[in-house]
Amino acid sequence: MKPVGHVMILASAGSGKTYQLTNRFVRLLALGARPERIVALTFTRKAAGEFFDEILNKLARAAREPAYAAELAEEIEVPALGSADFLKMLRAVADDMHRLRLGTFDGFFARIARNFPLELGLAGEFEILQEHAARMERERVLRRMFERTGELHDAQREFIEAFKRATFGADEKRLGAQLDGFLDRHQEIFLDAPAADRWGNPLRIWPDGCEWFGAGADLAAVVKNLRTWIDGAGIGDKQRSRWNDFLTALAEWSPGVAPSRALAYVLEKSLEAWTALKAGNAVLEFDRKKQELDPTACAALVQLTRQVVGAELARRLEITRGIHAVLSGYEAVYHDAVRRAGKLTFGDVQRLLAPGGTGARVLSREAADDSRLFIDFRLDAEIDHWLLDEFQDTSFGQWSVLGNLIDEAVQDPTGARSFFYVGDVKQSVFAWRGGDPRLFREIFDHYNHARPGTIAEEHLVKSFRSGPPVIAMVNAVFGAADAITGLFPGEAARAWNHEWRNHESAKPQLGGQVALLEAEDEAGRFATALQLLHEIEPLERGLSCALLVQDNDTAARLADYLRREGGLPAVAESDLHVCVDNPLGSALLALVKTAAHPGDTLAQQHLAMTPLGACLAAEGLGEPEALTRRVLGQIHAEGFERTLDTWLSRLEPQLAADDDFSRERGRQFTAAAGRFDLTGSREVAEFILFMERHTVREADSAAVVRVMTVHKAKGLGFDMVILPDLEGTRLDGRREGLAVQRAADRSVDWILDLPGKLFAGHDAVLAAHVRSAEAAACYESLSLLYVAMTRAKRAMYLIVKPPGKSTSRNFPKLLAETLGEESVPVNIGKLQLPGTFAQGDPDWYLGVAAATQAAEAAPEVERLDPAAVLKSRRLVSRRPSAGKTGVLNGIQVFSIEGHGGADFGTAVHALLAEVEWLDEAGLKRFEAAWAKAGVAGAEALACLQAAELARVWKRPVAAQAEVWRERAFEVVLDGVWVTGVFDRVVVVRDIAGRALRASVFDFKTDYLAGESELAGVVARHMAQLELYRRVVAVLAGLDVSAVECELVITRLRRSVAVPREVK
Amino acid sequence: MIPHRHFLPWDRSLLPQAVAWLAGRWAGGAPLDLSRVLVVVPTRQSGRRLREAIAAHASAHGQAAFPPRVFSPEALVAPGPVADMASRLESQLAWVDVFRGLDLAAFRGVFPVDPPARSFAWALRLAQDFSRLQGTLAEVGLRLADITAKAGADFSEVERWRQLAELEQQHGAKLAALGWRDGQAVKIERASAPGLPDGIERIVVIGTPDPLPLALQALAVHAQTVPVEVVVFAPKTAAADFDAWGRPLAAAWAGHVFDLPDFERRVQLCASPAAQAERIVAMTAGYGAAEGVLGIGVADSEVLPLLETGLRHAGLTGFNPEGRARYGDRLFQLLAALAGLVREDSFAAVAALARCPDFLDFAQARHGPGFSVAGFLGALDELHAHHLPPDLAEARRQAPEIAELTAIAEVRATLTAGTFPENAAAALGLIFSSRRFDLARPADVLAAEAAEAWTEVMREVRTAGKKLETVSTAEWWEVALQLYGEGVQTDDKPAGAIELQGWLELLWEDTPHLMVAGLNDGLVPYAVVGDPFLPESLRERLGLKTNAARFARDAYLLQALAVWREPAGRLDLLLGKTSAAGDPLRPSRLLLRCADAELPRRIAFLFSPAESARATPPWRRAWQLQPPRVSAPSRVAVTALRAWLDCPFRFYLSRVLHMAAVDPGKTELDALDFGTLCHAALEAMGHEPALRDCTDAGVLREFLIAALTAEAAKRFGPELTLPLIVQLESARQRLSRAAEVQAQTRAEGWVIESVERKFLLEVNGLVVSGKIDRIDRHEQTGAIRVLDYKTSDGPVRPRDAHLRAARRDEMAPEFARYSTEGEREEVWRDLQLPLYLRALAAEFPGEITGGYFNLPKAATETGIVPWDGYTPELAEAAWRCAGGVAAAIRAGEFWPPNENVRADYDDFAALFHHGAAASVAWPEEKS
Ligand code: SF4
Repeated sequence: MKPVGHVMILASAGSGKTYQLTNRFVRLLALGARPERIVALTFTRKAAGEFFDEILNKLARAAREPAYAAELAEEIEVPALGSADFLKMLRAVADDMHRLRLGTFDGFFARIARNFPLELGLAGEFEILQEHAARMERERVLRRMFERTGELHDAQREFIEAFKRATFGADEKRLGAQLDGFLDRHQEIFLDAPAADRWGNPLRIWPDGCEWFGAGADLAAVVKNLRTWIDGAGIGDKQRSRWNDFLTALAEWSPGVAPSRALAYVLEKSLEAWTALKAGNAVLEFDRKKQELDPTACAALVQLTRQVVGAELARRLEITRGIHAVLSGYEAVYHDAVRRAGKLTFGDVQRLLAPGGTGARVLSREAADDSRLFIDFRLDAEIDHWLLDEFQDTSFGQWSVLGNLIDEAVQDPTGARSFFYVGDVKQSVFAWRGGDPRLFREIFDHYNHARPGTIAEEHLVKSFRSGPPVIAMVNAVFGAADAITGLFPGEAARAWNHEWRNHESAKPQLGGQVALLEAEDEAGRFATALQLLHEIEPLERGLSCALLVQDNDTAARLADYLRREGGLPAVAESDLHVCVDNPLGSALLALVKTAAHPGDTLAQQHLAMTPLGACLAAEGLGEPEALTRRVLGQIHAEGFERTLDTWLSRLEPQLAADDDFSRERGRQFTAAAGRFDLTGSREVAEFILFMERHTVREADSAAVVRVMTVHKAKGLGFDMVILPDLEGTRLDGRREGLAVQRAADRSVDWILDLPGKLFAGHDAVLAAHVRSAEAAACYESLSLLYVAMTRAKRAMYLIVKPPGKSTSRNFPKLLAETLGEESVPVNIGKLQLPGTFAQGDPDWYLGVAAATQAAEAAPEVERLDPAAVLKSRRLVSRRPSAGKTGVLNGIQVFSIEGHGGADFGTAVHALLAEVEWLDEAGLKRFEAAWAKAGVAGAEALACLQAAELARVWKRPVAAQAEVWRERAFEVVLDGVWVTGVFDRVVVVRDIAGRALRASVFDFKTDYLAGESELAGVVARHMAQLELYRRVVAVLAGLDVSAVECELVITRLRRSVAVPREVK
Repeated sequence: MIPHRHFLPWDRSLLPQAVAWLAGRWAGGAPLDLSRVLVVVPTRQSGRRLREAIAAHASAHGQAAFPPRVFSPEALVAPGPVADMASRLESQLAWVDVFRGLDLAAFRGVFPVDPPARSFAWALRLAQDFSRLQGTLAEVGLRLADITAKAGADFSEVERWRQLAELEQQHGAKLAALGWRDGQAVKIERASAPGLPDGIERIVVIGTPDPLPLALQALAVHAQTVPVEVVVFAPKTAAADFDAWGRPLAAAWAGHVFDLPDFERRVQLCASPAAQAERIVAMTAGYGAAEGVLGIGVADSEVLPLLETGLRHAGLTGFNPEGRARYGDRLFQLLAALAGLVREDSFAAVAALARCPDFLDFAQARHGPGFSVAGFLGALDELHAHHLPPDLAEARRQAPEIAELTAIAEVRATLTAGTFPENAAAALGLIFSSRRFDLARPADVLAAEAAEAWTEVMREVRTAGKKLETVSTAEWWEVALQLYGEGVQTDDKPAGAIELQGWLELLWEDTPHLMVAGLNDGLVPYAVVGDPFLPESLRERLGLKTNAARFARDAYLLQALAVWREPAGRLDLLLGKTSAAGDPLRPSRLLLRCADAELPRRIAFLFSPAESARATPPWRRAWQLQPPRVSAPSRVAVTALRAWLDCPFRFYLSRVLHMAAVDPGKTELDALDFGTLCHAALEAMGHEPALRDCTDAGVLREFLIAALTAEAAKRFGPELTLPLIVQLESARQRLSRAAEVQAQTRAEGWVIESVERKFLLEVNGLVVSGKIDRIDRHEQTGAIRVLDYKTSDGPVRPRDAHLRAARRDEMAPEFARYSTEGEREEVWRDLQLPLYLRALAAEFPGEITGGYFNLPKAATETGIVPWDGYTPELAEAAWRCAGGVAAAIRAGEFWPPNENVRADYDDFAALFHHGAAASVAWPEEKS
C-alpha cells in the first residue's frame, strides 16, 4: 500500500463533496487498500446508502467506458489505470460488500459497543431504543417514580425538595407535564454534564467574585435614605413619581417575577450608570431630564440595585441547582430501570464509548495496553483509512470516540493509513444537536502545528450544481460583507466573512432565473408559489422542483395546499401522523378506546357518529357491553392489527370508490398496528399513544413537487427551488433554555438558568456568554439560508414579505439589503409578479425540452400456465389422533400434577409397545422390568395381567400373524393425506402371506369414572377408528369389513369393540 | 467409514426424485415400507413435505406407506430423556447462581469493569448469552474449555478464554452439586455414542446442504454399524463442489458464476417491503388457485407480516409453517398481567388484569348474569379518575362496591401464597375454575394447547425450583414468562393455504413457479457481523460456521432453485431498495456472482433507483361525522354559558351529548381536581363561625391547611403518590398566602356572609343554576361583594375573563358583542359574575360588586381582584347576552363550531380534521 496522505476539504455547496469522497474511496482502492479496511461515516443511513451506490456506479461506469476510466484515473491521480483495473476493483468491492464499513456514526458506534458489552459494563446484548420506545420508557420511569411506596424514602423527599427549588414560586399544578418538559429541554445537558458542581455554581460562573451579591443588611435604612434624597432633590414631579413608583414596585417585587415597568425603568438607569454610581457621583436622566444624585443617594441606589439583581441571580442559581437535582433524581431511576435492562439510545452508546465515560477505554488498534479496547480482533477489522463526511456536523462527542483511532492513523510512520474529512462550515445547521464546526480547523491545526503539511487543505468553490444566475445571487447575498457586518453581531459576521469565498459556477451554460418576490402573508406566499408552478410546469418539463420551508408543519400544510388547490403531485417530505390525521384512523382508535374504557363517552359517541358505528350496530355491537366483550377479546386473541383490519374491511364498502387516500391511510394504519403488535403489548392506552405518535415519511420520488424543510434538503439539488417561508423575527436569537458555558476543550464550565436581559445584560460574565450564544445562533441562521439558497441548479424564487421599515434582523431584511428594496415587477414567462430583484432569463424554462414521460412500465405479470406445468402435489392433511373430542375443565387444563395426561399416557403407550406376543415367561419378564416404572408401569402391567385383555397380547392361532406396534403410517384417502401411528395392529395371514383379517387396538389412558362413560368414549373415537380401519385395509390389502377395531381402556383394563360408522 | 454419496440431477425438482430414490424398486403390491430407514432432511417442514410426497407416491400405486423415521440434524443429536441432564432453564439458573456469587475481580479478563448492578436480571441476561455461546460451540462439539487449545498460538484473547473456561467449570460444578449435568455436555457426549432407534438398517441424508456439524459426528459413528448414504441434489458432474456430507465447499462456491438468464426480468427491484409483498400478492391472486403452482419464499422477516395481511385482503390464506411465538397470545397476556400483579399490587396492574378477557369470564362466572363488563371497567376508570388509588388496597377502600376487586384480591392472595409454580397453578385454576374447553371447538383447542404449553413450563420450573431456592416468586415469573413466550405455536396448515417458507426451506419446494422476497445482502446470504465472543476469525479457527460457508450454502441453494425451473418453470427474485423504516438495503451478493464482464451491467441494474412509488393522493375526508340531534336542555349550569360562548358545537357535545373522555394515563390531579380541593378548604373556612372574624393569618393558615389535608386524605387515602404530594404542597402554598389575604381583607372590614350559596335563575326560559363560592359583607358600609375563587396558574382579572377583543372576522352573534363609544368592539366570553350579581340583586338591594379571589401559582400574585368599572351598561349588556345564549340553547342553535380552538386544548380534537365545521354534517333542525 502506497502512502496516500491526509486531506481536509472545505467544500462549498454543490462543489461535489460526495464526488470527492467517492473519488477518495476509489483512489484508496487503486492504491491497493482492501475495501474492508476503509471506514466511511456520515450521518444518515440514506446518505451512506447513496454513497455506496455512487461508488459502485462510478466503478461500473469506468469498467465499461474506457474514456471515463481515463478521466477517473486522472482525477484520482493514479493515471495508469484503465477499464480492466476498475473492473477488478468493482469485483473486489462487490464480493466484499458485507464487510464494507460505509455507514453512520451511530451504527458504527453501536457495532463496537455490541462487541464489547462486558468491557463497557453492560450485561450482554443490548437493544437500541428508537424514538417511540424511548418515550414509552420515559413514561414508564415517570410512572414508576409516581407510584406510592408507603413512607417516602429519602430519594423521593429529595426529589420533591428539588422540584420545589427548580420551580420556585411558580410551581406547576401538573408534575408530569412539567417533568416531561424538563426532560425535553434539559436532559441532554444533564447527560453531558452530570456533575452537580457545574449547575448554578457561582464560584464557577464568577471565579473572581460577583459584585451583585452582598447588598447591605439594613434595607429599610437605605430606602429611607433614598426617600430623603427624593423628597429633597430639586427634581420634577414626573421624575419624582418615577422614583416613588420605583420604591413601591421594589417593595412588591420578589425574585423570579418579571420586574414591573416602574422597577425596570430605574433599575436600567442605575445599571447604565453603574460605575459612576459606585463612585458616588452619578447623573441619571429620567424622561430626558438630568438629575444629579448625591453620594448618599448613589450609595442607596447601588445597594437597592444589588439587592434586586443579587436576589434574582441567587434565585436563578437555586433554580438551576434544583433542575439538576430533579434530573439526577429521574436519571437515577431511568438508569436503573432502562439502561441497566439493556435498552440504550444511540446517545447512550456514544457516551459509553467516549473516553472519560464510566469505565470506557480508548479505542485502539494496539493490543498492548489494558487502558484500551483493541478493536481489530473483535471487529474482524483492521481499519487503515478513515473518511468522514459532513464534518461540520460532527459533534465533539463523536469525535472523541474516534479521535484515538484516527490519531493512530495520522501518526502511522509508514504512511500506510490515512484520514480524510470533508464538509462545509457554512452549512452548519445542526449545531443545535451537537454539530461542532470549530472542530474542522482545530484538528487541522493540531496536526499541522506539530508537523506542518501533515494534513493537506483543499477548498472547493466551484459549484457543479448551480448555474450562473443562482451563483450570482448567492454571492450577492453572502459575499456582502458590509451588509452582514451591519446587521449581525460582530463575532458571527467576522467568522462568516472570514470563511467566505466567492463561488463560481462550473456550468456557465446552465441558464436560469433568480428572483426576490413579494407577498404579504403566508396565504399570499403560498399562492405565489402555486402561480410559479403553474407557469413553469416543472414536472411536465422533467425539471426537478422543491419548495423549502422552515418546519415540518409548514411543509405538510404547503404540500397539502398544492395538492388541493393546484392539483399538483406534491409530497411533503415530513413526518405525517398517518394514524390520526384523518377520520378513518380516529374512528378506529375510538373503537379500541371504547372497548377498553366503556365509560369513555367521548370515544363511544364519536364512534357512533361514524359509519363504523353503523357497522358495529349491524353486528349487535351497538352497546358498550357487547362491544367491549367482542373487541377486547379479539385484541387479546389476535392482536391489534388483525382486529382492526377486520373492522377496516367492514368499512371498506362505506368509502367512496375513488377514495384512494383513505384506503392508503387504512393500509398505513394496519401496518403501524402490526408494528405495535410486535412489542407484545395488548395494552390499549399504549397502543393509542403509539399510533398517535407514529409517523410516515411520504415516499420521495422524482416526478413530484417536493416540499421539505431546509434541514432535510441539505445535500440535495433541484433544477428549481422556491423559498416561500423565510419569515421570522431575528437571526441572532440565543437558543432558549439553560445557558451552558463550555471551556475550550468542550467540557461544561457552568450552567445557569439565565435571568432576563435586564439582569444578565449588565453582568460581564453573563453578557459575554449571551453575546457568544447569539453569535453562534446567528451563524447557524446564516448557514440555514445559505443551505436553502444553494439547492437550486437553474432557478430560485424567494418569496418574502417586504421588510419595509421593520428593524427585524431577519432573512427578508438581509435579502432586501443585499439584493434591493426597490419594487420592480418581475417577469417569469407570461407571468408578472411584484418583486425587488431578478436576474437571468425570464423564459429560461421554455427552452427545456418537455421530458419524455417514459411511464414506468409496470413490471409484467408473467404467470405460468397452470395447465402446462408439472404441479406440485399438495394434499389436505389430517391426523386421526388430532380429532380429539371431549371437554376439559379449567382446573384439569392448568393442573401441574392433574391428569398428568400427556406424560402418563406417553409412558403407558411406550411400555405397551414393548410387548410383541405375550406368554408366561414374557409376563414374568415385564413384571420384573416395569416394577420400577412407577404408576405408568403399574398401569401397563395391569393391562397385561387382565384376563379381559388377554386377546390383545396373545398370538392368534393362524398360519402367520404379524403385529405392528407404535407403527407410523402415511396414506392418502379420498384425496386427504392421513398420517398417524397405530398403537397395535394384529394381522392374520394365510400360509401364502395373504392377509385374512386384522385387528386394530387403540390404547386410551384417559381417566374414566366407570362403565357408564364407555359409550361416550366409543362415540368420540368412532371416526378415528373408522379411519384406522380403512388404513389397515389398504396396508394389509383387506376389505374394510375384515378389519375390526377395539378401544383398550387401560384404566378399566378392558376393551370395547368399535362398530363401523354408519353414514 | 466414508458415507456413500449419490447425486440427483437438478434438471427436475428434488422432492419427487427423493421419494423415487427412497422407494427404489418398489412398485406397489404391498405397502411401501421404509420403516427401517432413517432419513435426515434439513428441517421439520422439509420432513413434512417428504412424508406427504411418500404418501402421494404410495397412493399413486393404490397403496399406503410405512414411512421412514425422518429427522432433522438437530433432532438427531437432541438427547432423549436423560434423568440427570439439566434443562435449558436449569442450566441458565445455574449460571445465574455462578454470576451472582462471583468475585468479579478474579475474572477481569471476562469482566474488565464491574457491571452497573448485579441484579437477577443482569445475571439472567448474562446467563442467556453464556448459554447461547455454549450452544454455538456445541454445534461443533466444543466446550468453552477447548478454545484456548484450539484457537492457535497467536490468539489474542487467551486469558479471557481461560477465565471463561474456569467459569464453565464453576457452572458445571454448580450443576453437579445439584445432581445435574450440563445439557450441552450431554449432547456432545451423546454425539460420540449416539443411540439408533430400534430396527434402523440404513441411514440416508438427503438434500441437506447445511447439517449441524455435531450431527455429522453422530452419523459418522452410526456409519460404523449401518450404511450411511448422502444424497446430493446436484448433477454428478458437480461432485467436486461438495464434501463427503454433501455440503457445498466454500472454495468451490465462492467464485461460482450464476447463469440467471433473463436476469433483469426475473430479478425485481422493489422500493420497500410493502412493494415486495404487493407483487407477490398480485401474482398469487392472479393464479386463482395458486397452490401447487406457485411457491413463496420469504428471506426478509419484514415482508412476512405484510404478505400475510396482503393475502388476507385478497381473500387468500398464507400459512407460516414455522408457527407463531407464544409471546403475544391470549394466555401470554393474562400471564403477563398476573406477573405484574405479583410484582406489585399497583392499580395499573389491577387495571391490566381487569382487561384480560379470561379474567372477565371469571368475573362473569362468579357474579352471574348480573355482571356487566362495561359496568365493571367503567367503574374502575371512574375510581381511578376520582381517587387515583395507588394500589389494590386503596382501590378497595375507596370503592368497596366494586365486587370484582375482591376477586382480584383473591387472585393476588393465591398468587403470592406459597411457592411458584404451585401458587400460579392455583391462581389459574381459580380463574379458569368454571371454564370448559370443548375440544371440538378450534378456539378451545388452541386455548388448551396454550395452557398445556404453560403447564409444561410450570413443571419445568418446579423441577428446577426444587433445587434452586434463591429465586423469588417474581423472578420465577420473569423466567417462566420468557420461556413460555419463546415457545412456538404451530397450527395445522389450513386447506388451500399458501405456505410462506423461509429461505432454507426452499430447496424442497417443488412448485414450478417460485417467488422469493428479500434477496438482500445480509439476509441471503445470511451474514453474521460481529460477536462479543466469536468474531469471524475465531469461528474459522474453531471450525464453526462462517460467513464463507453460509455464502457457499446460499449460492448452492440459489443455483438449485433456479436450474430446474429454467425450462418449464419460473423463479422470481425480489429484493428491496429500502427497509420498512426507509433505510437503504443492498442487493444480495449472490446476484452479483456473474461473469466479470457482465458485472457493470448488473451493478447498473441493481443499483438503479427503485421504481417510483405510487403518487400520493391528496388528503381527503372519508366521511363527515353525523352527530345525533337530541332535544335542547331546559336547565344548565352557569359555567355552560361560557362553554356555549366559547363554542356552541363543543357545548353541544359536552353538555348536551355529555361526551367525556377517560384518561387512563392520569397520574395526578387535573386542573379541576386541584381547584376542587382548594375550594373545599376555603369553603370549610367559610363555614367555620369561629374564623369569621379572624385576622390572624397564622390561625387561618393552619385551618386551611388542615382542611386541605383532611379533604385529600378522604379522597386519596392516607398515603399519597409523589405527584399528589407535590401538588398538595402547591395547594398548601397557595392557601397559606390566601390566609394572609383573608386576614387582611377581614381587617379591612369584609366579613364572610355565606359560602357555596346555590341559586337558580331563569334566563329567557332557560333555568341557569349555580353555586356562588362566597359572599362578603362589609361591616361598616354593608356593601356586598361576591367572590369566586380562581386557581388557574396566573392571576385573572374579572373583566379580562368575561370579555375579549373582537376578532377581525368576528363570528360571534350580535347579542354577544359589546361596544362603547370609541372603544374597540368586545365579545362576551363568560357571564358568571354578572349572573351571580343578578341572582343576588333581589336579596341584596344595596351596593353589590363582584370579583375574583385569585390563588395563582406565584404566591405574590394571590389576592382579591374586584371587577372595577362594572357599570350598569355592562350589566345590561351581560344580561342581554345571557338572554341571547339562553334563547339559542333553547332553540338548539349549536352551530357553527369555533375554529380557533388550539388542538392541544381541545377535548374534541380527535373528532376534527382540517377544520371543525368541515368535519361534521350538522343536521340543522327543520324550522
Ligand atoms: S383573630 Fe386572633 S382571636 Fe380571632 S380567631 Fe384569629 S387568632 Fe383567634
